[in-house]
Amino acid sequence: MIYFDNSATTPVCPEAAGTALRYMTEQFFNPAAAYSPAVSVERDVNAARARLASYLNAEQSELIFTSGGTESNNIALSGTLAMRRGKCRIITSAVEHPSVFEPFAALKAQGYDVVVIGVDKTGCVRMDELSAALTESTGYVSIMHVNNEVGAVNDINSIYHLVHDKSPSAIFHCDGVQAYIKMPAVQCDMYSFSGHKLNAPKGIGGLYVRRGTRFKGGQTGGGQENNLRSGTTNVPSIMALDVSAKLWTDNRTERLENMARVKHRLYNNLSRIRDIKLNGPEISDSVPYILNISFLGVRGEVLLHSLMDKGLLVSTGSACAARSRGKNRILTAMGITGDRQDGAIRFSFGTGNTEAEADAAAQMIEDSLSLLRRFRRR
Amino acid sequence: MERVILVRYTEIHLKGLNRPYFEQKLVDNMRSALRGIPSRIDREHGRIYVMDIPDVQFDEAISRLTRVFGIHSVSPALAVDKDWQSVCSTAYMLMDKEIVKNPNFSFKVFARRSDKHYFMNSDGINRELGHLILERYPSVRVDIHKPEVSLSVEIRDRAYLYCEEIPCANGMPVGTAGRATLLISGGIDSPVAGYMMAKRGLILSAVHFYSYPYTSERARDKVVDLTRLLSRYAGPIRLHLVPFTDIQMTIYEQCPSKETTVIMRRLMMKIAQRIAEKEGARALITGEALGQVASQTLESLCVTNDAVTMPVFRPLIGFDKDDIMDLSKKIGTYETSILPYEDCCTVFVPKHPVTKPVLADLRASEAKVDFSEMIERAISDSELLIIK
Repeated sequence: MIYFDNSATTPVCPEAAGTALRYMTEQFFNPAAAYSPAVSVERDVNAARARLASYLNAEQSELIFTSGGTESNNIALSGTLAMRRGKCRIITSAVEHPSVFEPFAALKAQGYDVVVIGVDKTGCVRMDELSAALTESTGYVSIMHVNNEVGAVNDINSIYHLVHDKSPSAIFHCDGVQAYIKMPAVQCDMYSFSGHKLNAPKGIGGLYVRRGTRFKGGQTGGGQENNLRSGTTNVPSIMALDVSAKLWTDNRTERLENMARVKHRLYNNLSRIRDIKLNGPEISDSVPYILNISFLGVRGEVLLHSLMDKGLLVSTGSACAARSRGKNRILTAMGITGDRQDGAIRFSFGTGNTEAEADAAAQMIEDSLSLLRRFRRR
Repeated sequence: MERVILVRYTEIHLKGLNRPYFEQKLVDNMRSALRGIPSRIDREHGRIYVMDIPDVQFDEAISRLTRVFGIHSVSPALAVDKDWQSVCSTAYMLMDKEIVKNPNFSFKVFARRSDKHYFMNSDGINRELGHLILERYPSVRVDIHKPEVSLSVEIRDRAYLYCEEIPCANGMPVGTAGRATLLISGGIDSPVAGYMMAKRGLILSAVHFYSYPYTSERARDKVVDLTRLLSRYAGPIRLHLVPFTDIQMTIYEQCPSKETTVIMRRLMMKIAQRIAEKEGARALITGEALGQVASQTLESLCVTNDAVTMPVFRPLIGFDKDDIMDLSKKIGTYETSILPYEDCCTVFVPKHPVTKPVLADLRASEAKVDFSEMIERAISDSELLIIK
């Protein structure tokens, strides 16, 4: 089986799984307890916190653990607005993940002045449009680092400065779920990430909150995470994330280079097929681990099923939207519609993928297409 | 005092000498519906009593019985010793509950006694108990024609008292009418059609055609889920999942495009009939409604019908889509039916399908291709799931 859907999730690496097991069965103590084995666990968690924060050039105290990207994105917004009076302007982009986009939509219904910034045909946020939308009264801006469907990279540092120049009281949040560690750290007030995109378990993630940011936090209760996100500390997953993140950091260059080779190899192989279109930035401008291609004349979903039968796992878009009917919001925002949207497939690469897999995958795609393209509605 | 469920049935009364058979089937079906809930079922003089139910499972038992075909209504009743003192105090207990809901209700007492040795006759019980209630609750009044509360008192081995009557699914006990095979899709109509025929006493088996990779695995799971919802009424269902892609591709490539849908439906019917024969089923059931789509015009139905010799039951034939949707909501399949894993075999659906197919033309188009081997393969490659 060839797994080219690493943006949906990744396999947990054995080192991380082993660590989680140890913290489940041996060092299972609640770090909030008063006895010394628990204190020792608390020290481990804080050491992990410090390391995970350092990848963002941040301090230990600026990182809180959450259940993952969705929670981080949700509480970044709600916890920021809770500290402000009145319904300010809030800004996001048209291609954000649903965990950002949907909360904005809900706030719009509550009367917030929501502005959605468009993207260019590569999927990057339009800076002129953003600049025009930023006002003195803007309270919150959320722009993703790397787009999960086409791999477009936003210039977050420039956006950060633009936001702060034009809207001094705004908090700038960045959804970094597809970028954390894989991409160089960026400047922002808040940054979300998720463990399971980095070979750590599902159900663990974090939110960076720059010191001094007015933030009320998320769920309340026992006061964990500096009273910003209560709930018993998820020690096994945090420790597993620490291990997998360290492996990623130590091997980042090789891993990314390998993925880039796989991606280019697959793209070159596919170039011999007629009627295909690359979606998103030029092949070398997008992240090395995401490739989005439209196969005209077939429905992405049908091609996906057919490839699965042959042993290749891919996706038609974000797994979080794969079950919803109708149009793809991200591709539509990029101006990709009709046949080209219907036939879009996302390939996303992970640590274990090889160029040989890229060759085999291309062959499977060719085989599937030669059958499926015989049948078009008439 | 014990909480029991009193079960009434209707149409079975019409059955003459076969009545014990129908009653026994009903009791058997109740027993399997109550699987996992400890209980004892007693039959007595045209009534069925469910007793010894643990209190925490009492409501669940009632909700399961409301779905057993053949039951007209159920009443949660209190069973007590039939001495007058106990009858009165239990009646007060029920009235206490009613008075909380509405302090000025009208009521009547409706007594029956199969124990003819009881010291008071039915009329005496009505009057005496009515009098005592009026004395005890000055705010209520008697209305024997349209009472808001009807207090039933049945004197049998014990006294049974109740105010509530919960309407149930009606129909005939599943298994009293033989077996038929339902063509089930992931849509709204076919589960409703299956429900309606099971309600007339049929045991169901089901056939589903899938066109992987044009339909998804989740669409298949959805059909399994729908069948499971249906089995809450119909009992265990044998579900056959038949691979249909090869046949569909062949039709596409070798038959006139406007006829593809009707030919496809004919072949589905043929396969369903073959499976039905193996199952010992004697009829097919479809969710077709006249005129709903091109393949459900009278002409199309005639052409589809011609493909098989078994009777084809189409219980929804005269229904509007709205009526079907209402029924689907009522039986609880609607929410599953509208899940968006729709079949995406739209490539096989012609843009301009024939609406008035001519049988001779269709037969001729179909005869140009030898489907027999493909049909055999579809049947032998089909998968059987027992859904309960």
